[in-house]
Amino acid sequence: MAQVKTAEFKKISKQAIKNEKLQHSLDHVMEHFVSARSSIIDQDIGAENWELLRTRAASIKQSTIENLDYYLDLVDKNVRRNGGYVHFANDANEANQIVLDIAKRNEVKTVIKSKSMVSEEMGINEVLEKAGIEPVETDLGEYIIQLAGETPFHIIAPAMHKTKEEVSDLFQDWLKTAPTQDIKRLCIYARDALREKFATAEMGISGANFVVAETGTVCLVTNEGNGRMTTSAPRVHVVLAGMEKIVPAIEDLALFLRLLPRSATGQRITSYNTFASGPRNQSDEDGPEEFHLVIVDNGRMNLLKDEEMREALRCIRCGACLNHCPVYKKIGGHAYGWVYSGPIGAIVTPPMTNMKVASDLPYASTLCGTCRDVCPVKIDIPKLLLHLRHKVAEGSSSERGSAWMERLFIGQWHKTVRNRKSLERRVKLARIFLKPISRNGKIKKLRAPMVSGWTNSRDFPALAPKSFGDIWKSGLSGNNGNRNQ
Amino acid sequence: MLRSKFQNSFHKNIAQIVSLLSNICYLRRVVRRRGWSRFSNRPKAKLKAALCVTCLIDQFYPEVGEAVVKVLRGQGVDVSFPEDQTCCGQIAFNGGFRNDAADVAQHFMDLFENEEHVVVPSGSCTSMIKIYYQELFKDDPEQLERAKAIAEKTYEFSDFLVNVVGQSDVGASSYGLITYHDACHLLRELGISKEPRELIGNVDGVEIQEMHDSDSCCGFGGLFSVKFPDISAAILEEKIKNIIDSGAGTLVANDCGCLMQIRGAMQRKNLNVRAVHIAELLAEGE
Amino acid sequence: MPYIPPEHPNKSAFLKKVREALGRTHPILHAPDHPPLKSNIARQREKVRTIVARNDARMLTNINRLMENASFASWNVHRVESYEDAAATIARVARSHKVKNVIRSSEEIFKKIDVDKSLRSVGAPPTILASSRTRRRGQLKSIAFKSEMGVTGVGYAIAETASCAVIPRKGVARLTSLAPSVLILLVETEQILENLDDFFAITRLKRMESRSHGPNYYNFISGPSRTADIEQTLTVGVHGPGEVHMVIVG
Repeated sequence: MAQVKTAEFKKISKQAIKNEKLQHSLDHVMEHFVSARSSIIDQDIGAENWELLRTRAASIKQSTIENLDYYLDLVDKNVRRNGGYVHFANDANEANQIVLDIAKRNEVKTVIKSKSMVSEEMGINEVLEKAGIEPVETDLGEYIIQLAGETPFHIIAPAMHKTKEEVSDLFQDWLKTAPTQDIKRLCIYARDALREKFATAEMGISGANFVVAETGTVCLVTNEGNGRMTTSAPRVHVVLAGMEKIVPAIEDLALFLRLLPRSATGQRITSYNTFASGPRNQSDEDGPEEFHLVIVDNGRMNLLKDEEMREALRCIRCGACLNHCPVYKKIGGHAYGWVYSGPIGAIVTPPMTNMKVASDLPYASTLCGTCRDVCPVKIDIPKLLLHLRHKVAEGSSSERGSAWMERLFIGQWHKTVRNRKSLERRVKLARIFLKPISRNGKIKKLRAPMVSGWTNSRDFPALAPKSFGDIWKSGLSGNNGNRNQ
Repeated sequence: MLRSKFQNSFHKNIAQIVSLLSNICYLRRVVRRRGWSRFSNRPKAKLKAALCVTCLIDQFYPEVGEAVVKVLRGQGVDVSFPEDQTCCGQIAFNGGFRNDAADVAQHFMDLFENEEHVVVPSGSCTSMIKIYYQELFKDDPEQLERAKAIAEKTYEFSDFLVNVVGQSDVGASSYGLITYHDACHLLRELGISKEPRELIGNVDGVEIQEMHDSDSCCGFGGLFSVKFPDISAAILEEKIKNIIDSGAGTLVANDCGCLMQIRGAMQRKNLNVRAVHIAELLAEGE
Repeated sequence: MPYIPPEHPNKSAFLKKVREALGRTHPILHAPDHPPLKSNIARQREKVRTIVARNDARMLTNINRLMENASFASWNVHRVESYEDAAATIARVARSHKVKNVIRSSEEIFKKIDVDKSLRSVGAPPTILASSRTRRRGQLKSIAFKSEMGVTGVGYAIAETASCAVIPRKGVARLTSLAPSVLILLVETEQILENLDDFFAITRLKRMESRSHGPNYYNFISGPSRTADIEQTLTVGVHGPGEVHMVIVG
């Protein structure tokens, strides 16, 4: 199971902000994703029709989730009818065991992997290595971070934080290739190194962008060709899919294939879409002889149980929310501490892993709402963040994680604003306390706990000598005449 | 009024037609002489607005409150100030402390629910009252009803001016280039972006210069600004840069949270751009 | 009949957990209300009839749209009238790349276009990538990975997205359109569909009419293989063909 490092959120985000190179990458990449998405939508679909697509997709996904048991049963029956195996894993450990068993039974020595976020949740690479099996990431971004020993920085662009120099160094160390600044050359190095693995690997592990219940079809949305390689060349094909990846009918793919690539990379469609429903048909020339679909829970049940949080399972992993998030733009993906980052990471990580360890995440947002506007399946992310904050502040004992200082602060605030008299009394006191540090209407340094961070980079306003209420009472109320009448 | 005296049906019809025509002529004479109010018992109504001044303006920026009152009165609005007001409760709600928020929200509703209109010079407070009170009370049918009712009559300041008072030119005058910041709740929860620009555009002597990404967050986010001050400051940097790059001498926003954030950085960096609330701009030169 | 694997031992416990999470005690007996799931074979046949009629009527528009969208997506588009011209185009591409090692599949279209002859004339006789042509099992893969150019037909071409649907079966290996670095796809104008919905509706009908419930694998190819994973700089030609040609004939 991938470690949850969210407790280091503040530390890692501070480091990210100070890292100039990283800030430059983030600026550049996010700007690109944002404008590519909005251009292709304007060009192809138009704002009004886009709205209609989103609404329909949200409703299909929501109804699928509300009937998830029915559809999971359908997936199972159909994949098996096509000759494939279907496994149900409650958590990462079980999923890892299932994959290991398949690998061992087939005497697998090398596994090629195409992009799968679920496989990151599982930490399958480490498990395979311990069993003496070589896992090879074939998605270029994932390959780079595998060599670097890191977790993905972004859902769609996992190695966006690496410069070409850093990639060149990595390839030099691991592939013994000559150093180069030429990105095309670096891609060729990767291509050559991986090609040999494509030809020899006995097992391919892929993710699934969508799983069509009615036909038992796994749909992959890719650009590089490694997705096709992973699902065609080896003898055994294993698909890892979160249980929420289901869509009911094959026609639904038309809608989702219109939404996903545009939301993710601003493409009309990706170079490849693979539709795999089982092992090769008997008369096929090539293709895997064994097909396994592993359906994984690993904490999704917690999202399903909570009626409010259920809509988070609509997510089609496009990354649009990350690309538009002002917070993500400053801190990048590693600060979130788990597999999923950005707004979607903030809402799924606490319920799926550990509410207390990840208690910072629901608060690490200004609730600006841009993510909600761009989500292709209309997840109301700010509402879910507020719901999680409610749990952290006032939830059950396994959920509560507010700092005692915050509780104290809110308790005092409540006493203060209970009525006007209380407010005026306490503000009078506050004015006295703050007078020594207020100069020219500004406070340069707040030394109080919790709020001191403000004045590191900003002035804080001084309390007004007379509140609006005072001013109203001392005359502003009287003149109710209309001077311009 | 003429009365028909004829029993004969044909003559009766003619008489009825003549009677109808003559009534119409009578009405026209009266209206021409005395106006429609002759027929109405009600005196001409003046728009009433109860001001929810917001805790930030109340305690830190009372001059904004004064400007709001001035502008509203200048449009003939009868402004009242329920004196027991304190806060809408958003800070607790956003912090997840819904019990505390509910208590404060009920006090708010007690104070304001019998008013004709509630005007709030803040997008975030308005969206708390109009939208999130219903989230807060979703499991309490009685309070939910009250929340729905109060949502109907609560307006953000610029929304109230343009859409209720019906005035987008308040007769203000100022000078220079103005750039406008779209506060997040105002824009995305309430859908208000046209009205402030109309109001600003009609101020004599000013020109609007849109900044790059006027609708991107300033980094305040209430609690966020003190819980994650480094991230908040980093987001703010970008907003400040966009404001400076626009070349405008004045930044206008409808939310004092954003203004507190933006002014805080302007002052720390000794920058010359003044950051004001839209009410302050609209109160100028009257 | 292919072997049908048994149910996983954890299946019913898993589904029970899902039901409980959704607040239900009993499974759902009837399909939820989702229109495509309620189709029957007669209705689907009618639907496809309409689709085919519409595509026939709009063929010229569809061809133009396909060509436009394909150019936008970095295809090399060749529009030819005759099968001979198509063969000549293929030879031209092979010659320009100086390839010697060509593989091809064996769809119906190869009976109409004499690809073998034209490629032989430029010194690149194609190998048909099929297990019947190889002596041992692993040979198909090694032939594929050594090849420089591939030629294959398509099941359909979709104008909306400039996608070619390549459907593997006997004589049509997956690797033909994946392993080489240059790929030529042969599209007949009758194979062009307007949009993705048309394709999936036809797919549904085929599934309903076939006993084996349709092919277990097919791909859309909508452009060259590409990545922008290093510094967001677009590089074309990673693991799949970096150069793709669409020859539209008819």
